[in-house]
Amino acid sequence: MIITNNLTKQYGGNTALDHLNLEVKEGEIYCLLGANGAGKTTTINLLLGFIPPSSGSAFINQLDVQENSKATKQFLAYIPENLMLYPNLTALENLDYFSGIAGKTLSKSDLKIVLEEAGLEQEAFENRISTFSKGMRQKVGIAIALAKDAKVLLLDEPTSGLDPKASNEFGLLLQKLRSKGVATLMATHDLFRAKEVATHIGIMKDGQLKQQFVADAISLPELEKAYLNTMEYKELVP
Amino acid sequence: MISKTFLKETKELLRDGRVRIAIIIVLSLLGVAVWISARHYQNVNEQYALAKTAERGIWDNQGEKNPHSAAHYGTYAFKPKYPLSLVDQGVDKYAGTSIFLEAHKRNEAQFSAAADQTGLARFGDLTPDFILLFIIPLLIILLGYNSFTKEREMGTLTLLKSQGISGWKWLMGKWAALFLPIFGITAVVFLLAGVLLGNLSDFGVFRWNSLLMLFLVYMAYYIIFINIVLLISSRTKKSGISLVVSLCVWIITCLAAPKAASNIAETKHPYPTRQEFAANVLKDKKEGLDGHNPWSKEAKLLEEQVLREYGVDSLHQLPFNFDGYRMQKGEEHQAEVYFKHYNYLKEQYTQQSRVYKGLAAISPYLPTRFLSMAIAHTDYDTHWDFADAAETYRIATQKFLNDNFAVNSSYGEWSYRADATTWKELPAFEYNPPELNTILSRNSSNLGILGIWLLASFGLLLFTSKTI
Repeated sequence: MIITNNLTKQYGGNTALDHLNLEVKEGEIYCLLGANGAGKTTTINLLLGFIPPSSGSAFINQLDVQENSKATKQFLAYIPENLMLYPNLTALENLDYFSGIAGKTLSKSDLKIVLEEAGLEQEAFENRISTFSKGMRQKVGIAIALAKDAKVLLLDEPTSGLDPKASNEFGLLLQKLRSKGVATLMATHDLFRAKEVATHIGIMKDGQLKQQFVADAISLPELEKAYLNTMEYKELVP
Repeated sequence: MISKTFLKETKELLRDGRVRIAIIIVLSLLGVAVWISARHYQNVNEQYALAKTAERGIWDNQGEKNPHSAAHYGTYAFKPKYPLSLVDQGVDKYAGTSIFLEAHKRNEAQFSAAADQTGLARFGDLTPDFILLFIIPLLIILLGYNSFTKEREMGTLTLLKSQGISGWKWLMGKWAALFLPIFGITAVVFLLAGVLLGNLSDFGVFRWNSLLMLFLVYMAYYIIFINIVLLISSRTKKSGISLVVSLCVWIITCLAAPKAASNIAETKHPYPTRQEFAANVLKDKKEGLDGHNPWSKEAKLLEEQVLREYGVDSLHQLPFNFDGYRMQKGEEHQAEVYFKHYNYLKEQYTQQSRVYKGLAAISPYLPTRFLSMAIAHTDYDTHWDFADAAETYRIATQKFLNDNFAVNSSYGEWSYRADATTWKELPAFEYNPPELNTILSRNSSNLGILGIWLLASFGLLLFTSKTI
């Protein structure tokens, strides 16, 4: 579903992403770990087609992102760190609009079903987004992905700033999407959440993918140790 | 996608308290302005009807009198207030409402509304045209300045892009959401004006097609403003900057450009002062025949020419009263002098208008204003037209009176009195303003400029949508 081949992005003399090669298959959740500036968000922006690569290529559902920017959008959904919706519109209205933009026309009852599936409480459906917490907004974001029937989900620090309960609920939602065959690429700082939800984990530093793991094959302490070693935080390594 | 965006934008606008208040204020101002204008229109035309009837009564009931005395006694040509002046009062306030028609002299229109007001009139009046031309463009800015910038600032643009939004469809949705409230407000006001005019006494000729044309001109003006505001919003990163740039455009378009145009036009093609104009007319008049002076060189030449033409030795032998004949010839000379000097004024006015049209390239306000005034019959062209019609009537009146004097009396018979019924034989002054087709044909360049603005602003906007 998601493939990058030597994907590279340079800004002047700085290399933000350096020959990234990864693959996320149907029903997989790939978590990219790394400090700020590691190249996680650049990877997502390249996959979204928001910025052109300096070299290499990226594919979504076998379509080259650069050549088929518009076409690839129909397969993917994106949830940024701070999902911003229209504050004066209700959750239903936001979902209706964003799914409409993606070419999906759903009835009000269908929209409600999707919101419910995304874990939003029914009382909140008709409330304006301006009254929503970040966790509730992220659920609307998931609802947008569900309504779109996205095959690929790109998440940029989606659990950042969420309380543990909301973060846990978000993790459960990702598992639900995984069971539907959605390929998810999630950039995060959260090792615990990554270990909990991911099928695969990659650690990035200075634009390079330094290590990759199958999530089930590594324990949380091992993952933490690998992360700290990669980051060269030697004094923190237990 | 267009309808989804349109509905979303409309909901957002309606839920924004500032927008609701602004729309209510503009609608209230327009309602009050239309009501005031309707009252004013009715009052002025009632006065017009009264004055016209009274003046004709005075003319008809002069009794037995020498026709030339009647020529000096004179009468008035009154200019009615036309129905669409309810929407645009144009230059009516400054142009004068009546012209005194007398022998030997072409008078200016007098009794302008502005002359009857105090210095406070400089603050201006609350008229529909003020709101339509100045306030509604401001409302467009208020509604649309953050149309695109808010998406950047709120962060929704990223999500929209990831949904695969189509730039031009998104833009058209936003355009429609901005256009519809402006269309609604303007349509309500024009409909109200139409209903009011339809129910008022028909002093002028009210035609729905003229009102519709006026509406279309204003809609074109607003569409240009909508396009400009959306264009600015799509090219700027912050709402504050978009607002400032849009307001600068409004200031240049609606305030600075018309005033600059006026100054440039006046400097390039100045009107003579009133004193210069009067002195030039007097000089030319003196160089020709004065009907009142039988001893002048010109009068003697005319005398010789007429005697030769009729083959007689004395003016007494002529089959008409030479005094009346000379009066008419003097009148014809003076009419020519006035024609020449007023034509010069008209030429200067035409040149000034060309300067305005040239500057319309930087301001869609200018062609809109000219078209609006022309369709409402409140522009200078209509005033010139009225003044020319009054002058034509004055010349015809003088001929009617001089001919009566020449035919019905003999040379030197200044004691001649025309019958009391004579005056009724003179047809009353009637003036019909130019029809809509004539107006549009006269203003084809203004229509063209407005059309170019419309197409260019749409073209730029659609071109920009590719890079949003």
